[in-house]
Amino acid sequence: MLSKSNLQSLLFLAVAVGITLLFLTGQVGGVLSGAGLPAYKADLFAFLAIVSVAVVSLAFGGNKTMIMIGGTVTAFIVLTAFQDSMVRYMTLGAIFFAIGAYGMVASRNAVRMLMSIELMINAANINFVTFSRAVDPEHLGGQLFAIFVLTVAAAEAAVGLAIVLAIYRNMATVDMEKFNLLKW
Amino acid sequence: MEGFPQLTTWAQANVEQAVFYLLAVIAIPLAYGVVCDRNIIRSGFLLIGVFSTIAGLFILLSAQFLALAQIMIYGVGITLVVVIALMLTNPKAEKESMPALSIHKGPAIFVACFLFMCVYLALRSAENWPVKTDVAALSAAENLSRIGQSLLTNYSFHFEFASILLLAALIGAVMLAKAEPAVHDLNELSANEDKLKSSERADDVVKV
Repeated sequence: MLSKSNLQSLLFLAVAVGITLLFLTGQVGGVLSGAGLPAYKADLFAFLAIVSVAVVSLAFGGNKTMIMIGGTVTAFIVLTAFQDSMVRYMTLGAIFFAIGAYGMVASRNAVRMLMSIELMINAANINFVTFSRAVDPEHLGGQLFAIFVLTVAAAEAAVGLAIVLAIYRNMATVDMEKFNLLKW
Repeated sequence: MEGFPQLTTWAQANVEQAVFYLLAVIAIPLAYGVVCDRNIIRSGFLLIGVFSTIAGLFILLSAQFLALAQIMIYGVGITLVVVIALMLTNPKAEKESMPALSIHKGPAIFVACFLFMCVYLALRSAENWPVKTDVAALSAAENLSRIGQSLLTNYSFHFEFASILLLAALIGAVMLAKAEPAVHDLNELSANEDKLKSSERADDVVKV
């Protein structure tokens, strides 16, 4: 059976998808121009609507993960539907970067923090390859830079995980909240 | 219901965009799973899915070599190292004692939203990108040979430096992860050995 929080988040998903469909069919722009507001900023208004609905349903106790995933996907579609192809790819990169930054700040397990850093490095790689395709398609400078980033990321993963193992051997935990060796 | 035929005709007209949105809709929940999943081994395996969808994005951007390198290095190599590290650090005990995310959730969400909005608004308001839409993408073989030639001519210094970096990282990782007993452990070890020897001697005395 559906619990109350699942029902809440399903309701949010329905509202968010409804706003997205209204935006894609051009209704939001029509309403804005009727109210005397600039219609070319319709995507920002739809984005703000989705964010405020998400905040309200979080305040009423919906399932947090479902609301965040649904809000991010619909906001991504709203923000990129009428943009250039290049802006689309780079917005996806920005979303990965933001998710990685969130995980890096909020996660308690040190290994999960390293995974979030890998996510952020991949977001940067998406941007490099996008620039390589759109701006520099003959010399492929962005792809070459992405190859070097891949190399550095491999080195970073090896050293970072070795450091985590050394910490685990000394302190018998990988909880970030318990690493206060530099505090005095 | 009449929206679906429109959607299919749109998808047939813009195959690249349709595949892009499909990959994005798969990748965003997987990335959330990596960050928020309570079972950390599962989030380690979800990382493979994220890297594979990013490899799909690279193929859409006609970077075929980089897509395969992404699957080989990230999807297999780095994820394997991460999962082995997870198994070595005993995540079962950690899982019971703590939630996946810490108490600093509010500031973290604020920082993430702020970062995203900064980058997005900069992208959106920037006009006049020097985009060369008229130039067709290189074919796969051409792409590979161009990358190889560049690595050994224009970027040869960086290439050699990357090999030195990898060697240093390898040695450093082995040194850091080597199970070397600390000094106080050594002292305890020798003390235990002394005790053992003395107790053996006592046993010998008893036998005699």
